[in-house]
Amino acid sequence: MQNLLDNLLFQARQNPLPIPTYAQDVTIWHHMSDALHQSLYRVLTLLIAVLPGILAFFVALLIFAVAGVVISWILRRCLTWAKFDLRVARKGGADWAPSSSPTGIVARVAFWACVLLGLLIGVSAFDASYATGTALPISLLPYLTHAVGAALLLIAGILIARFLARSVLISAVNAQLQYARFLSLGVKWLVLVLTAAMVLDHLEVGGNIVELAFGILFGGIVLTLSLAVGLGSRDLVSRSLESHVEHAAERTHIPEETNSSASSIRHF
Amino acid sequence: MATANQIPADTSVADHVTADLVVFVPAMPVEQFKGVLTSLEAAFSAESTIVATQNELPADAKTSLRIILTPQANPLWMLKAGDFIAAAQSGLDHEARTILILGPGADSLSSLALRSMADAVSTASVDLVVPHYSLPPHAGLINSAILYPLTRAVFASRVRFPLSLDLGLSARMAERLSAAARRIPASNQGETLLWPVNEAVAAGFTMDEVDAGSRAMPQPSDPDTNSILAMITGSLFADIESKAALWQRPRRTPPIRRAAPEAAQSDGSPDVARMVAAFRLANDNLQEIWSLVLSPNSLLMLKRCSVLEPADFRMPDNLWARIVFDFLIAYRLRTINRGHLLGALIPLYLAWVAGHINVIASGTPAERHIEAVAAAFEADKPYLVARWRWPDRFNS
Repeated sequence: MQNLLDNLLFQARQNPLPIPTYAQDVTIWHHMSDALHQSLYRVLTLLIAVLPGILAFFVALLIFAVAGVVISWILRRCLTWAKFDLRVARKGGADWAPSSSPTGIVARVAFWACVLLGLLIGVSAFDASYATGTALPISLLPYLTHAVGAALLLIAGILIARFLARSVLISAVNAQLQYARFLSLGVKWLVLVLTAAMVLDHLEVGGNIVELAFGILFGGIVLTLSLAVGLGSRDLVSRSLESHVEHAAERTHIPEETNSSASSIRHF
Repeated sequence: MATANQIPADTSVADHVTADLVVFVPAMPVEQFKGVLTSLEAAFSAESTIVATQNELPADAKTSLRIILTPQANPLWMLKAGDFIAAAQSGLDHEARTILILGPGADSLSSLALRSMADAVSTASVDLVVPHYSLPPHAGLINSAILYPLTRAVFASRVRFPLSLDLGLSARMAERLSAAARRIPASNQGETLLWPVNEAVAAGFTMDEVDAGSRAMPQPSDPDTNSILAMITGSLFADIESKAALWQRPRRTPPIRRAAPEAAQSDGSPDVARMVAAFRLANDNLQEIWSLVLSPNSLLMLKRCSVLEPADFRMPDNLWARIVFDFLIAYRLRTINRGHLLGALIPLYLAWVAGHINVIASGTPAERHIEAVAAAFEADKPYLVARWRWPDRFNS
């Protein structure tokens, strides 16, 4: 009898009876609920940690922008009272346009300096609240600074592209090249493509794909320009070069006899 | 300074002597310098004249004139700011009442012209004497198109060649020009232009012109006409901008005092079609830039001009005046980059030249057309003053 009981106990330990199903469902839902609650808690914690920083950023920016307006107004009144424009004009000898007078320039510089200072202080406040908040795997601030740098890069690239395009256009027109506008557009898009690649690289977006695409695109544009100028419009180029040589030959020099007649033009 | 090895024994070297006349001769080729010395010997007495020059006296040159060597400078095809400093200093050192500056190519000037210039300063007490050259109709076109009409309208001066290569100066005029040149940084004095006529008007000094006959005009060694045109026009624009407080006052242009000398005849006709083609190309490609500078009315008139045949091409005088004034305003306001602005003016200038050549070919004397252009500039000066004072308004 004892041996039978021992055997039954041993088998029970080796083969435990399964838990009923209704008990398993309760546990799964409980775990899911726990997971959702924990996720919600983490997000709310993140927001609570970051929100004061964001608010501090906007408040700092607003305060310093208002301060900039006040300082700019005070500076404008003081410099106008001191006849600053007149003193500068006397010293520099130039007549200033009303929209770009020295007083206006100083006032605008003061305003934007205050705005920039507010921006720096706001970013610093955001960084402080972010650092003392929760330890998050995502690093936002470095990406934010990269984004600002990328924006500046984009603006500079666009300005340079426009300047170079206009320079090439005017020079090509004065050189009487028929494809002046084509050259100008080509230069503009070359610079813009280069700028876009630099911006994406700065933002660390795309990686090698961007580099490869840029190389292909840039090389394609350069090759297209070369083919168009060298092969597709070689007649135009040769005519332009011939006319340039003729024009150089027509250029006047000091005549040996002062009363010699000339059918050529002397601009000077 | 002079050395005994280079100067012949019969030519005295004067370092600290006085003279009535100092003639400043900047760097020029040797043959030209010899010609200048010959003309000066025929025009002036050696006792009352000193020649201050940057040129070494050639070994085979024999002259009775007193010659002083001044510091060397890089030669340029026209007078530069440093030349005025050197000339004024020479005049001051020798207590001269009359200073002549003779630019490159002055060997083609007659002795009579040199004498007239000096006499106007010494006898008639004129502060600035500018020669009136007799040039072929197709020469000096930048002066005819821009420099003379603009200077006449803005500064009320009838001087035909405001950027003359030769000048007669009184002592105070030389000092005034030297002071203006010294305000320019030393590194730029070898390239920067001065505008003596504008300085004389600003100072309230007297001016006069003398007939100088024909003269050989030196051409720039750099064949890039476009950049030189931009340099000269930009320099005049900058000078006008610096004297804005002066020329906005009402001024009356002095009456014509002498008839213009007969210009030399020229054969043939330059290639107008090429210039018209350049203008049309610019009209097709530079509308975006011109629209930032010119009024809609001017753009419309340019569009109408672009469809004219080369043989019939004309640019109306009032349109050209309005274009130059608009570019002057844009230069001051920095509407676009100044280099781009002056580059965009070049095709319009070529269009004016093409029209001018056609006008001459039709039988109208060149000087009559140039005077008509200058009159158009004068008539439109109120527009310039209005836009200068109120640049945000666009009065067409």
